[in-house]
Amino acid sequence: MTTRPLPDNGSPPDPRTSDPDSASNSSGRYVYCIVKGSEPVNLGRIGIEGNEVYTIPYNDLCALVHSCPPEPYQSQDQEIVKGWIVTHQKVVDAAWERFGIVLPMGFDTIIRCNKVSDPEENMRRWLKEDYGNLKAKMDKVRGRAEYGVQVFWDSRVMAQKITEESLEIKKLEEEVKSKPRGLAYMYRQKLENLLKKEMEKQADRYFKEFYERIKQYVDDLRVDKTKKAEDENKLMLMNLSCLLPKGGSKRLGYELEKIDALEGFSVRFTGPWPPYSFV
Amino acid sequence: MPIDIDEKNLKHGVLGLVVALVEIIRDALRLQALKRFEGESLTEEEIDRLGQALMDLDTAIEEMKKEQGISESVKSVRDGLDSIVDELLDKMINPERWGERS
Repeated sequence: MTTRPLPDNGSPPDPRTSDPDSASNSSGRYVYCIVKGSEPVNLGRIGIEGNEVYTIPYNDLCALVHSCPPEPYQSQDQEIVKGWIVTHQKVVDAAWERFGIVLPMGFDTIIRCNKVSDPEENMRRWLKEDYGNLKAKMDKVRGRAEYGVQVFWDSRVMAQKITEESLEIKKLEEEVKSKPRGLAYMYRQKLENLLKKEMEKQADRYFKEFYERIKQYVDDLRVDKTKKAEDENKLMLMNLSCLLPKGGSKRLGYELEKIDALEGFSVRFTGPWPPYSFV
Repeated sequence: MPIDIDEKNLKHGVLGLVVALVEIIRDALRLQALKRFEGESLTEEEIDRLGQALMDLDTAIEEMKKEQGISESVKSVRDGLDSIVDELLDKMINPERWGERS
């Protein structure tokens, strides 16, 4: 979580000393996203903690913000943080619906004031300085949406398949049966090791294969970190964010169905989302 | 801090930590034993003895966990350590993430 430093801010001054009037509560602007539009718009009190969300326009771009103290939102309570993030996403969703193109910001992006300018001015200056870059990103996500693709595999099914196919493993399994206790233990360790290595090799192979298959149906994609699933036997093989034309997910969906139908594999396909991973 | 020791239940916490460490040492021993085994520098009899010793260690650890009811706390210590190592490795392999703040 970051507060975005402004380009030529120097060392950020303490807002309480530099801006005595608006001191604590309105000297920061929490930024949800950048949208296309030139009119000041008020979306009402839909923001984090019921704050009023409105736009700060510069040229044909607007920043969607609410007014806040120049401190990041922080809490030890995971539930509270989750609530904030959900609200953040809801606001971005609403903006997406209304404006068509959004560049979502990460949670806790806050612009603050400095000695010479208030936060709104700062915001406009940032939009101005980054204008070309922001416009280019907007062009990239215009009419597109993000979809999440997660492929899981069942480690038990996979292990069994490998055991059946590998001659070396089969041979070892036979040998174990005739060995004394301690020796059999060592053989089993060796077996497990072999199996693990083979699983990793297979995971690598499938990852590459699926990646190539998915790649042809998307405009862009990002490989995200895999997460642990609740079910210990169901391992996440890949976690992708894909950029697709809005409503153009049919062909990808069809390809994913084919992967889902493979034995031991399952696919989770989510979206459309605002293009969080591509800005 | 991912290693979570419950203050109200210090015994479980400390025992869990100790047994988790013993398990990690056991894993290292097992890996070494496997290397010797595969390096074929040991006789069948020696391997058998090694295997039996490791097996007894496994049994002892499992029994201790069951008796003391610390299976969960051992697992949570090991998961915590795993995720630290994961993060570290991920950072080492992907230098472009070094600039990121978590």
